Amino acid sequence: MAEQDSSNTGARGLSGLIAALRRPSVHYSLASLLLVGFVAGIIFWGGFNTALELTNTEEFCISCHEMRDNVYPEYKETIHYSNRTGVRATCPDCHVPKEWGYKMVRKIQASRELWGKMVGTIDTREKFEAKRLTLARSEWKRMKNSDSRECRNCHNFDSMDTEKQKKRASVQHEMAMEDNMTCIDCHKGIAHHLPEDMTDEDWD
Amino acid sequence: MMKKMMMTGVASAVFALATGSALAAAPADWSKVAATNVDLLYPGVSPVEWIMRGPSHGGARVLKRGESCTSCHSEEIGDMGRLIVSGGKIEPTPIPGKAAFINAKVQAAHDGENLYLRFTWKQPEASGAPKMDEANPVKIAYMLEDGGKVELAEQGGCWGSCHGDARTMPDGTDGKTKYVKDGSLANGVYYDLNQWRSGENKAYDGHVADKRVMEGGQALVAAEGKLEDGNWSVVFTRKLTGGEGDVALKSGNTYNFGFAIHDDNAEGRFHHVSLGYSLGIDADADIVAKKQ
Repeated sequence: MAEQDSSNTGARGLSGLIAALRRPSVHYSLASLLLVGFVAGIIFWGGFNTALELTNTEEFCISCHEMRDNVYPEYKETIHYSNRTGVRATCPDCHVPKEWGYKMVRKIQASRELWGKMVGTIDTREKFEAKRLTLARSEWKRMKNSDSRECRNCHNFDSMDTEKQKKRASVQHEMAMEDNMTCIDCHKGIAHHLPEDMTDEDWD
Repeated sequence: MMKKMMMTGVASAVFALATGSALAAAPADWSKVAATNVDLLYPGVSPVEWIMRGPSHGGARVLKRGESCTSCHSEEIGDMGRLIVSGGKIEPTPIPGKAAFINAKVQAAHDGENLYLRFTWKQPEASGAPKMDEANPVKIAYMLEDGGKVELAEQGGCWGSCHGDARTMPDGTDGKTKYVKDGSLANGVYYDLNQWRSGENKAYDGHVADKRVMEGGQALVAAEGKLEDGNWSVVFTRKLTGGEGDVALKSGNTYNFGFAIHDDNAEGRFHHVSLGYSLGIDADADIVAKKQ
């Protein structure tokens, strides 16, 4: 009997809350409500974006040892880390889209990586090396499908003067332009070591 | 054995005829013959299998589309040699002090009967490493190919004969020599090969088809080399037309050409190699042999 009373009270409480939310306010002006809603919106949205951007930093990426000990040291040897112009492309510059929509899709996809972290998919060097080709193929495919969108945030055929390049680069870039190729077709391994078990099909 | 003796006899007779001809003579003054500068790089371990794979050689893609090695690399041969010789790339066993590259000058002329090829270069400093070929401080060899029948001959000079399973390669087999894909003298798929060895002071006239053969050619008349004031000069005298395994050279035609120097008592892959060039007989090419 007591249980029945309690359940009735709970049902009443929920429907009461819904009823209260649906009831027009008699105490606060519409302007106050809008203002509070506006401010709260800014706080929530700002907070969400700030949190999102915190995950879009190199510090965040290498806060996990999987990134810090494997791919990060390789990247530090490359031109995207250190070069004569002092411009640096960090992890998210290449691996996270800049546009909001694409970024959200990528972030949702990346939530899978949290599961990987929890179960330790690549928590040792050996496990990482065993999975390197799979991981690389996944990223190559993403870049290929997006026409190397993240590369093109900085690099573009339209602004490329091949005559100022070394001969070997100009020959290859001119061929790539003719064939409508995309950056990742040739520049695999530009910031990380190539998987040793990579096949010719991965390249072609 | 009998056959070999007969062939040697025929070759000797041909040589005697060639050298006895009053018309046949190397240019009296080589300084009047145009010289082509060619850099030869220390190639490390870069066989056909390496250059044709995208994951190892970024240029594989353009190579498969018909571009030559020189179209990308002509201005950076020395830099490539430096990178490789230091062990920075594709050299698992760097030799300290080994020259990164050699700049050679190539001159060519002919007199309607013989082709004369002169190679000159400054002797690089010795590395001091153990001598691989005790007998020969220096060897120089050139290869000729007609018509681009050998895969890569037109694009990459001697590279078409360089394979990962050859002797002195890290994964090589002792005794395995150079060879070319589908190599066959009968089908004309071969490189003509001439070599001069400094210690033995001997010239070799061979070819590379399904394997490398150092003798049997009938075109090479002589090769003479000398080292003066630290500068090498080697002159090959070669009949325009020889026999089996000898590319027949005709006025107005061009041929695929590459050469290599085994400096510092080197053996096998530890040589310096040119990229691919063209040799023209009275025809426009990278190296032109004009009639004297």
